[in-house]
Amino acid sequence: MPVNLRRSSGANTEQGEGGHRRAFLGWLTSVGLFGSAVLSAFSNFVFIKPRATYGAPQRFSIGKPEDFPAGTRIAIESRRICVVREGEKLAAISTTCTHLGCIIGISDTGFACPCHGSRFDQDGNVTGGPAPRPLPWYKVSLAPNGEVEVDKDVEIEPGSYLNV
Amino acid sequence: MRLALAIGSFLILVVHGLVFYKQFFHAWERHQSAYFDQARGLAKSETERAAVTGRSPRIEQLIVTSFGETRVDRCTTCHISSDDPRFEKYAHPLKTHPYSAAMGDVQKNGKWERRHKFSDFGCTVCHDGQGRGLKPEYSHGEDHYWPDPLLGYVAQHGWRKEFVSKLKGREYMEANCAQCHTEDNFAGTATVQRGRQLFFSTNCYGCHRIEGLSDGTLGPDLTEVGKKFKVDYLWESIADPRANSATSVMPQFKLSEADLKALVIFLKSRKGMNFSETEIQRYRAKLTGGAELIQATIKPVEITASQMLQQGQKLVEDRACMACHKLNARDGGIAPDLSYEGLLKDESWIQEHFANPRSVVSDSIMPTFRFTADEFKAMSAYLASLKTAPALASGADAYKALCQRCHGDKGDGHGEIAIYLDPYPRDLTKAGFMNSKPMERLTHSIQNGVAGTSMPAWGKLLNEAQVKGVLEHVLTTYTKTPRRELKARKVPTANPVAMSPASVTRGEAVFVQRCAGCHGRKADGKGPNSLDILPRPRNLRNSAFVHSVNDERLFDSILYGVQGTAMPPWIDYGLSNNDVGDLVNFIRGINPQSKGNQHARAIEPR
Repeated sequence: MPVNLRRSSGANTEQGEGGHRRAFLGWLTSVGLFGSAVLSAFSNFVFIKPRATYGAPQRFSIGKPEDFPAGTRIAIESRRICVVREGEKLAAISTTCTHLGCIIGISDTGFACPCHGSRFDQDGNVTGGPAPRPLPWYKVSLAPNGEVEVDKDVEIEPGSYLNV
Repeated sequence: MRLALAIGSFLILVVHGLVFYKQFFHAWERHQSAYFDQARGLAKSETERAAVTGRSPRIEQLIVTSFGETRVDRCTTCHISSDDPRFEKYAHPLKTHPYSAAMGDVQKNGKWERRHKFSDFGCTVCHDGQGRGLKPEYSHGEDHYWPDPLLGYVAQHGWRKEFVSKLKGREYMEANCAQCHTEDNFAGTATVQRGRQLFFSTNCYGCHRIEGLSDGTLGPDLTEVGKKFKVDYLWESIADPRANSATSVMPQFKLSEADLKALVIFLKSRKGMNFSETEIQRYRAKLTGGAELIQATIKPVEITASQMLQQGQKLVEDRACMACHKLNARDGGIAPDLSYEGLLKDESWIQEHFANPRSVVSDSIMPTFRFTADEFKAMSAYLASLKTAPALASGADAYKALCQRCHGDKGDGHGEIAIYLDPYPRDLTKAGFMNSKPMERLTHSIQNGVAGTSMPAWGKLLNEAQVKGVLEHVLTTYTKTPRRELKARKVPTANPVAMSPASVTRGEAVFVQRCAGCHGRKADGKGPNSLDILPRPRNLRNSAFVHSVNDERLFDSILYGVQGTAMPPWIDYGLSNNDVGDLVNFIRGINPQSKGNQHARAIEPR
């Protein structure tokens, strides 16, 4: 075994250099193993969150600004949002109840949840019922192809509109 | 030991690092970052800038539920600016998807509006490919095992090199357009319509079935062919039918490249059910005999007695007989010449052949068409009326006009249509065969034809002098070797063994032992050695042929072999007259006298 021969000769004749070499190899080994252990552990943590889910996309287009005449509040049930158009301003308010996630309907004074009677005003602030938080507003932007895009991943300050 | 461990652990770290890098740094992130940078630079107003601020790379996906099973198309992860008109001049993947009026896009105030919105249609409905893939190799379907690669834009490894260039082009996508736009006159699917016409005009309908269009039975059902096969396979199967199935009897049709492409695109559009059909429509169509879904098909024609010939002629032309046969100037280059059919065959023969081609020529590849009895009658009447004999001055002329199509211009049997004939045309250059047969037999074959094969009785078209002229031409031009006097052989003129079940059983035992290697265990001429032999071993179940030869000829062929073929003289291998008698009884026994014998001609001389 050549490795054995070399090691024994190194141990006998060049004690100092052999020890140095041994320490270096030990260092290299530990760095390598420890580094890969850390990397794989870290990868595991990252894999816990999926990169894509099978639900409907969170950013979607809802059509042209002309589809929403001034002064209307149009609920898009499949997307669970209500598009509010006031003059030249456009906003999207969630229609998922902050209480237990029912779909909220539009009422004269704002929004009303059919499940437990939560009530919201025109801007989504809670006016009654068990709902703990006001309805979130989502980011609305004008896509380059001229359509209005809503991004449900980004909540914005209530009362901020997109000018169209 | 320590050194190995150190190097090993270092290598593991490197491998881990590479895996880590590949998992967390993607090409699509770079494309998206590039898009955001460019879009920020291109933004002219605050709103445009606001649209891209705060966005970071992530997997984009379109969920499409309106077209069959739910599709998850992540194509826009890389092609993120496909709907951003500012990127028209950029390179892929950031290039804008082109706008086209042909696809229904309209221009309003200088801005294009799409008819097919990506959020509704996704990408793979039109383009195919693998919607979930995030690497070009997978998402474009370049991977060999993906069934629908990007139509018309991508070739997979393993596709035949000479076809690849022909399988590209945006017209291939019409196959997917036709999944919704099924109308016959839809402008956007012109190639599919052309392919559908070709399906009838090149007689594909005769052999293949497509639900609602045709009901051929000889070839595979093509109702779902577009779902099962990729375009390269479709192209190859038409251009070179034997490439994928060595025993295919499908002829190689003479198609221009454009026609072939149209057929491939039409076939690719056959997916069993299209997106515009609903289950209830299909159910109703089933109840009404498919009437609702039929787009174009062969419709039965009412035959009036007074116009039978004209209608027959029209049918012969409309039903694409000349996709295979020759009739005067039109030649499909696959099946025999019909130009003087009336001289060679009588009307009842033609009609019986229509009803089942294999009842008269047992190995014919002609499909059994499902026309009405009246239509067959009219077509037969028309063909039987073709009685104009060609003017043939010399034997060479006659050979060129009548024989060359099958026996070839070199007389070697490899004529234009030879590969579609079974039995194969005789090789006239083989002196061993030609000179071992008496002149009477050769003359008889020309004059009266060979029963059960495609050799017609030319005696009905040529007078005796002309037959002699042809034979002389063949012997001097092709056979060349001068004839020698034939030695008389000792052959019994009638079978010495009486026909009996015991004799047939003995004959079968001898047959399996001695003959089956070439003639096959079923005596159909398809034994294990048969493919190496030309001429191929005789199909001994070809009743018309077997009935047309007498015992003397069978004895002669078995005992002394057939020179110029692979049939050996069995007398040298220990077969006695009695053994051969048993064999002859066996062969006669498997060809009972029946309907097939109706047109067998007079027993020919040895």
